[in-house]
Amino acid sequence: MVGAGFTVLARYQNASGTVGRTPSDWPAQTRVALDQKRNTLVMFAHPQCPCSRASIEELNRLLARCHGGVTVQVWFFKPAGFSEDWTRTSLWRSAAAIPGVTVYDDPDGAQARLFGAETSGYVLLYDPRGKLRFRGGITGSRGHAGDNAGEDAIVSLLDGQEPNLSQTPVYGCSLLGECRASFQQSAQ
Amino acid sequence: MDTIAERTAQLFQEQHQNIIRHADWLFARLMVCQWLFGLGLALWISPRTWAGTASSVHLHVWAAILLGGAVTAVPVLLAIFNPGKTLTRHVIAVGQMLMSALLIHLTGGRIETHFHVFGSLAILAFYRDWRILISASAVVFVDHILRGILWPESVYGVLSAPIWRSFEHAGWVVFEVTFLLLSIRKSLSEMHLVAERQAKMEALKESIEQTVTERTTELAKANEALRAENAERDRAEQKLHTEYAVSRILAKSPSWEQAMREVLQTICGIMNWDAGTFWKADYGAGVLRCGEVWSGPSTETDEFKILNRPVTFARNVGLPGRVWAYGQSTWVRDIVQDESFPRTLATKQGGLHGAFAFPILIGKNVVGVVELLSREIRDSDDNLLLSLNNIGNQLGQFFERKRIEGHLFQSQKMETVGRLAGGVAHDFNNLLTVIGGYCDLSLLELPENDPMQGNIVEIHRAAKRAGALTGQLLAFSRKQVLQPRVLNLNEAVQNMEKMLRRLIGEDIDLSTVFESSLGHVKADPGQIEQVIMNLAVNARDAMPRGGKLTISTSNVVIDQRSNLRNRTLEAGQYIMLAISDNGMGMSEEVQSHLFEPFFTTKGLGKGTGLGLATCHGIICQSGGDIRVYSEPNSGTTFKIYLPRTDAVLDANGNHEAKLLPKGSESILVVEDEPAVRTLAVRILRQQGYQVQESGNAFEALELIRKNAPFQLVLTDVIMPQMSGKSLCDQIMSQRPNSKVLLMSGYTDDALAHHGVLDEGLSFLEKPFSAAQLTRKVRDVLDAPHPRQPTHCNSNITELVAA
Repeated sequence: MVGAGFTVLARYQNASGTVGRTPSDWPAQTRVALDQKRNTLVMFAHPQCPCSRASIEELNRLLARCHGGVTVQVWFFKPAGFSEDWTRTSLWRSAAAIPGVTVYDDPDGAQARLFGAETSGYVLLYDPRGKLRFRGGITGSRGHAGDNAGEDAIVSLLDGQEPNLSQTPVYGCSLLGECRASFQQSAQ
Repeated sequence: MDTIAERTAQLFQEQHQNIIRHADWLFARLMVCQWLFGLGLALWISPRTWAGTASSVHLHVWAAILLGGAVTAVPVLLAIFNPGKTLTRHVIAVGQMLMSALLIHLTGGRIETHFHVFGSLAILAFYRDWRILISASAVVFVDHILRGILWPESVYGVLSAPIWRSFEHAGWVVFEVTFLLLSIRKSLSEMHLVAERQAKMEALKESIEQTVTERTTELAKANEALRAENAERDRAEQKLHTEYAVSRILAKSPSWEQAMREVLQTICGIMNWDAGTFWKADYGAGVLRCGEVWSGPSTETDEFKILNRPVTFARNVGLPGRVWAYGQSTWVRDIVQDESFPRTLATKQGGLHGAFAFPILIGKNVVGVVELLSREIRDSDDNLLLSLNNIGNQLGQFFERKRIEGHLFQSQKMETVGRLAGGVAHDFNNLLTVIGGYCDLSLLELPENDPMQGNIVEIHRAAKRAGALTGQLLAFSRKQVLQPRVLNLNEAVQNMEKMLRRLIGEDIDLSTVFESSLGHVKADPGQIEQVIMNLAVNARDAMPRGGKLTISTSNVVIDQRSNLRNRTLEAGQYIMLAISDNGMGMSEEVQSHLFEPFFTTKGLGKGTGLGLATCHGIICQSGGDIRVYSEPNSGTTFKIYLPRTDAVLDANGNHEAKLLPKGSESILVVEDEPAVRTLAVRILRQQGYQVQESGNAFEALELIRKNAPFQLVLTDVIMPQMSGKSLCDQIMSQRPNSKVLLMSGYTDDALAHHGVLDEGLSFLEKPFSAAQLTRKVRDVLDAPHPRQPTHCNSNITELVAA
């Protein structure tokens, strides 16, 4: 029973979230500002997702490793009709506390949809010209901080090196949930 | 030693088991706390998982509940329901390590969480069982190896970890476990040492306890023996104390009444009895009478005392009667249950139960019974019985001593009065002899119509009364000389009947009841008449308004020695003469002084107080006893007991003749009192005798030696230089055929033993009349000569017998 439990737990934590269609070029209609001098790293997160705490921690580590050279923005999903308190969680505060990180509300996940972000902790890296250089998660599994391929790839890119990977699975709660479904329906 | 080793092992096991159970208890709580902590942590960190605005319970919460519960439940349940078992602690060890694994996983392989493993191993070391650490270490090792290979991020927080990292972790576990094992070994060793010490201590304690038990048993036995000894000593002390106290009382008490009052109080006080009664044997009435009664200070026993006083017991009736009958102590556990105890009312009112009675013995005769009563039911106590029997003997000796003292006192009193009477009688009788004698001579010489005749008769009568008074004085003091003869009391009373009727008067009816086959007694007939007359006069005085006087005789047999008023009657055959009246009777107080000289109830001038004393003296001198039975207002009975004799009746020598006998024989009169001597010489010469006289015995002997032998020597008994008795002996030694007539008013036992004239002596009592003198002289002269006159007594014996 304990083994089965551990197995279920392992499967849950290693199960990556869904990923939408992410534009390879910076979408024009987005409110997210592109830094045209430096790389721009955008993370989409669900403010209530406990798994994304590991992503924020990894973001902090990542920024420490790359010593700047990147503009970082974290966009927290804010459904319509929800107050700000819903988004101003400890996760928001942790992200906001990281030097060089700007935190924004993403009302109804409109920006997330533009960038194809469907799972909390989804990270995108665009160069100053608006070209997508990396997309995916920066944790090894759901809710687990620590060394991971996504973080290593970003650090390499920021160091001017060619990474082994340009895309990694993302682990976290569903970012938009039914909102995503309604979005997809409306898109169709 | 084997016992100590076994006990050491047992103690070690017990201690270890206690530790294991304690560790089970500790882990049961720890694991529950860990589970709750994990659940709390999951609820805090990741309570829900989200999908947009929708959320559900996070898997971590379910993992905390279910997986944590699964890991925790089995060990905890085993710890609760199966503590101390090997399986339990192994399951606990595995569960605890799985909990470590889960925590490590849930914390993303945080290195800090690995400390839970080390902490858990340290806590598992509480079991002091190396096998537990092995089990736990194995789980850790396998977990790290498997997860390190398959899912390193779960255990180390990294995407990939080399295999050596798992071994490194295992190495640290081994490192800790090694020291924990050393610690366990040391601890077990110390536990063993403690157990061994405790086993030795217990063995020592057991040995000491056994020694203490043995010593305690010995001490208890010694205490028991000491208690028994103390009890025995207490009993002995109580016995001695009581006997000593009784002895002191008996030594200082002037009378048995006072003695018994104090003795009862003392015995009851020391021996815890609530009441005591002294029952005095009244052999005359054949009952026990309440002599003294004592009770403790309570109203109930006072009632008992009042009710007890008038009670009497016949032989074999009631407790005292039984003791009297059998002469043995008797114990009654509870008199209320004893049907043969007649004083139910008295004992009920006194609230009395236990009773004990013991006899007061003089030899084999029971003179009294002491009865002790208690408010408690009391079982028989042999020691007490023995002690009180001793006291009974002490009291018996006391009573005997008092009887002898009384007898001695009475004897001394009698001796004193007798000496006084004797001293008076000697000279007084001489005077009375002279007065009476000359009156006789004067009456013979004076013409019948001489006016002096009347005067001389009165003088003569007064002299006679004075002589009778002197005789009474001698009689009660038993100093008179009795001249006993074999008598029949029926005849003696019949001879007196006429005179008695005159004496008692017409108001009193005299009746006689004679035993037809009455035996004979040997007594002085004159004295017996005196006794009967005295008693008849007393009876008359006790019946001033008339009444009935009964004189009866009977043969009686006294079957055992009996004591009364210091007199003892030996067992044997007696003749009883009873003189009864239905007059006013006497109280006990009067009875107790009845026979004392000069004691009278008749008032001044009406009685001399010598009558009953005289009777008593005469009867006692005759070897008998006189006893009185009287109740106030019921009358009085005097019973005279005289020893029966089988001898034949003596011939009645009573011959009265008006003419004085004459003779011509030669007579020597020896008398130191000139007046008496002159009188005797004159009377005898008037009657024709050849008379010579002498004033003392020496002169008389000289006259006998010089002259022809006298045919009769008339000599006084009490004379200075040589007594008449010695003179008689001298004469008989020189002239065995001589005849001697002794005369005296008081002989001072010179001629008699206990007042009874020695066999064979001829004796003339002063005061005598001319007739008495001449008749006695004639009788002696007419008697035949003795055959072998070698001694005065033998001569005279033959002389009298002839």
